[in-house]
Amino acid sequence: MGRLNDGQARKKFLAVAGLFAMGAMLVLPIFAALPAALAGGGGGSAGGPPPEVLAAQKAAAAAAAASGEGVEGEKVEVGRDVYYKTEGPVVGAPAPKTADTSEFYPRYNFESRVLLWVANQQHLYYGSFVLAVPIFCMCVEFAGMVSKDKAMAKKYDQLAYDFIKISLTAYSLTAILGGILIFTFLTLYPSFFGYLSSIFRPVMHIYALMFVAESGVLYIYYYGWDKMREGVMKWIHLSMCVVLNVIGTVLMFLANSWIAFMMSPAGVDEQGRYLGNIWHVLHTALWNPLNVHRILGNMAFGGGVVAAYAAYRFLSAKTDEERAHYDWMGYIAMSLGVAFLIPLPFAGYWLMREVYAYRQQMGITLMGGLLAWLFIIQATMIGILFLTTNYYLWQALGRMSGGERFQKYIKYFVFILVVGLLVFITPHTIVMTPAELKAMGGQQHPVLGNYGVMSAKNGGINAIIMTTIASFIWYQRGNKMPAVSWSSFGNIFLITFFVVAHVNNIWVACYGYFIPANVRIGLSIPQVAGTLSCLFIGTTINLMMLKGAKEIGPIQYGKIAPRSQYALIMLATAFTWMMGLMGYIRSSVRLFWHVNEIMRDNSPWAYTHTIGFAANVISFNVLFFWISIMFVFWLGTLGMKKAPVAVKEPVQAIPSAQPAGGS
Amino acid sequence: MEGVKVVELLTDALAFGWPFLALVVGVSLYRYAKEKDPEVKKNMTFNILIGVVASVMLLVAIVNYKDNFGTNDGKLPVSLVLITSLTFLMGVYFTNISALMKIGGFMFFVAAALSGYGNWLPQVEGGFPPPVVKLDFQSMSGQQLGDEGEKIIFGGIGQSKVQGAIGKGQCPLCHGFNQGFLSERAPNLWDVPARAEERLKHEKYHMNDPASRDTVQKEAFAGSGTATTGQEYIAESHSCPNCFVVPGFGVKGSNDTESPMPRIHKPPISLSIGEMAAVDTWMYVREGKEAPTYEDINASYEKFIPEADRPKASEGGDKAAGGVLATGEEPITDLFMAAGCPACHTIPGIKDAVGKVGPLLMEGSNAPKRIKDAGYKGKAKSTREYITESILSPSAYVVTDYPDNQMPKDFGKTLSAGAVNKIVNYLSRLQEGQDPPPIEDFN
Repeated sequence: MGRLNDGQARKKFLAVAGLFAMGAMLVLPIFAALPAALAGGGGGSAGGPPPEVLAAQKAAAAAAAASGEGVEGEKVEVGRDVYYKTEGPVVGAPAPKTADTSEFYPRYNFESRVLLWVANQQHLYYGSFVLAVPIFCMCVEFAGMVSKDKAMAKKYDQLAYDFIKISLTAYSLTAILGGILIFTFLTLYPSFFGYLSSIFRPVMHIYALMFVAESGVLYIYYYGWDKMREGVMKWIHLSMCVVLNVIGTVLMFLANSWIAFMMSPAGVDEQGRYLGNIWHVLHTALWNPLNVHRILGNMAFGGGVVAAYAAYRFLSAKTDEERAHYDWMGYIAMSLGVAFLIPLPFAGYWLMREVYAYRQQMGITLMGGLLAWLFIIQATMIGILFLTTNYYLWQALGRMSGGERFQKYIKYFVFILVVGLLVFITPHTIVMTPAELKAMGGQQHPVLGNYGVMSAKNGGINAIIMTTIASFIWYQRGNKMPAVSWSSFGNIFLITFFVVAHVNNIWVACYGYFIPANVRIGLSIPQVAGTLSCLFIGTTINLMMLKGAKEIGPIQYGKIAPRSQYALIMLATAFTWMMGLMGYIRSSVRLFWHVNEIMRDNSPWAYTHTIGFAANVISFNVLFFWISIMFVFWLGTLGMKKAPVAVKEPVQAIPSAQPAGGS
Repeated sequence: MEGVKVVELLTDALAFGWPFLALVVGVSLYRYAKEKDPEVKKNMTFNILIGVVASVMLLVAIVNYKDNFGTNDGKLPVSLVLITSLTFLMGVYFTNISALMKIGGFMFFVAAALSGYGNWLPQVEGGFPPPVVKLDFQSMSGQQLGDEGEKIIFGGIGQSKVQGAIGKGQCPLCHGFNQGFLSERAPNLWDVPARAEERLKHEKYHMNDPASRDTVQKEAFAGSGTATTGQEYIAESHSCPNCFVVPGFGVKGSNDTESPMPRIHKPPISLSIGEMAAVDTWMYVREGKEAPTYEDINASYEKFIPEADRPKASEGGDKAAGGVLATGEEPITDLFMAAGCPACHTIPGIKDAVGKVGPLLMEGSNAPKRIKDAGYKGKAKSTREYITESILSPSAYVVTDYPDNQMPKDFGKTLSAGAVNKIVNYLSRLQEGQDPPPIEDFN
């Protein structure tokens, strides 16, 4: 370590001061919240507070009631929490009992619910994007900092900078859309909004302050990029991104608490009166599952949007260098997106399990009732996402010498994927009208009804995922020949492993037809175990075999077929559409409630729309978002001053450049 | 006719978007006039033509979208196809924005396809909720009672033919109701009035001899006896599913000695006797059979449900099934009953608490031993903590030879703090070799 000169010392001082300022901004909302928290009381632990705590709360409530009686001469009313079952002093007004009048539901000459839906969805798309991109940025900047290859380090740094630049423009739009959302809400649903804001009043200012903190940190992070490029300041710069993500996550959790409260209210009594414990209001039955699901969903969505941006820049590139850079960027973004797509179903499973635990009826409405058809669409979308990912990887083999070895096998993979998808989307029990029931001759379709059982569906999706893993392994091997002494054994082992996993999967899928439904549920364990084994053992062995592998030729970024970029666009569009679909499902499961079982929706739109109508609005939202984000991309190109850094080294040497499935 | 509609659409589009079209044409002509190079001018002429065509297509698409939004008559996708086409058209001829246009076109295509898929699927619309009324089952006719029964089972009159329809009773979650329909989790209930009579003769039923039964629960409650008529059999099945388990439908591994079905008069379903009478009546009426009178059905349930255990008739309101089981203000016996503990556990000192599914709750003696057990991985340090943990997190420690995941895991939500404390107080005083504490101490 040499002695720092004055300039460096000053930069270091400024960087440290900036970090402290940022830290102060971060804790400011916490200090600001203290009075409300102290007044509001403590909180409960996950799954409900222990009895000792509840007893203490009950005693406190009783004491409050008693003291109220003694001091002010009037009794303080005590209410029971609808979810936590604790007692607390009633400090809020009951949920408004609305009627279909302009007082409660003022309107334009258009369905208010759709207007709010569009405003909400647009804000959510942008919000998700600007929350996800800094997380990518953090990963990529970190990869650059730990990379020993200077050229690659620079390239990663440039990529992280590109990411945050896109995010910055989108950030302003997010704020604008947030404003539009609030105005729409206030204008069209004043009593509903008034009620929610009265419940969330203790944390609303925290939300606003967090937003200020997020903006401040984001701007320091972005504009300090060049000033904080070297040494310890680079680490401080990266830590700013960590702080940025922490603030962003808290911000999202607070936003999620509103929708979680609407689905599974807590902290209020049966009439919807606030009982003074804000933690109960925030920490409802579905809050945490929603939080986790949204973080993963945001990441997958963010990956899709950045991949689409890269595809756009690739297709409009004028030079080979530019094309190479954006080909690489698209690949990294796609990998990150798919990496977060893989655990997303597990988070969804958790959310659904909690929904069933909270209200079984709600779960049935989702999975076996009114909204069940939407899950058929979701299954199709999942199939599309995996098929597209595979297609992209096969196309990506084309940019490396040696990749052509695998081309002849693709047709077999296509066969497995298509068959898997068809099995996966075959319904077993579906909602039908009496006429349809009569026409079909029973609850199940005479032919298809025999096939759509859960073990077979699991078999379908597991076959798809295993095939995707195999495609990733191919991609890893694209331009390499294993040179380890045990390569023949390794190849035989890998092939045997995948064949056994597929045979196990298919056998279990078929076996499910011969056993009762409650036993059949347990079959998913060996199926998933087989798939996860392929994922972890398969890719690990493959990476071990590729150590010191002979390179057939370099990866020629930019040489990928342009049609591959449409696969990225397809992924991005499908992510966006699926996000709109799942958001609609989540929201509409409340049926005729603004706040489930607390505040009824008495507007003329208290019914659930048809699937077709919902699909149309979702498509409208998707297209509106993409038109506006393309405008954002275009704005980004206006500020583009320097050409991307050209690097010719193969990317497989870098850990984070490995395919998602293998990381 | 179609031609007229196309012309109409075109006219509407021009009437709606003529300023936009004028702007496009004006700007194009201005640029054309400014251009000096004749070769470029030649290309521009064609491009202006393409631009105008694309603009008209866009206007038609917007007007069509506006006219058909929300109608579900299949015309909406026309707009998306038009936009897809115009973007690709522009992408081909306007090379400077080619990538943007092609990407946009592709996205429109994907969105159009997904929208079409959504519209192609069967369209189901969720209606407004019916108004809630308080029911007097006793004064209803058989048909009215049957209709209410159908509502309780399937959520509405006529819904029994709709697959997936489900009501407050939640029966179709497991039971099939129509002849020949698949019913894997629980017996198909078609023809159950007749079959109920046959069940009484089943070798495992042991009519009038409950002690000979091999099931985990011999009687609905001590002294209730067995059913002697078909209706009583149905009532017993609802109030004591464990009393007789149809072969093949028992809890896995129980050899059909225990039923997976909950007691219908208990949470979370909590049907009142009146509601169960309505359900039973529907079973008869829908097969064209004469149902027993309300009084007879009521009596059949009273035979198997002790008075203290009888749920009150639903007060209506907006609530779904569920909610708090006990507040802690009940006498200890009622509290245990409300929580359902006696169904599975034997609890010394508590009448009728003779369940065998779970271990004997001699917790004053059991808890210290289990905390010291090598297999104990919980966090409790004292007897009280152990009992609390066993109630709130039953899987924290599972007593040897008893299956995990049998005990509900939501007592933390369904019992109040006071209720849990009261249970803990009682159970912690149960010691081997000692009499149970006086029950009056806990009332």
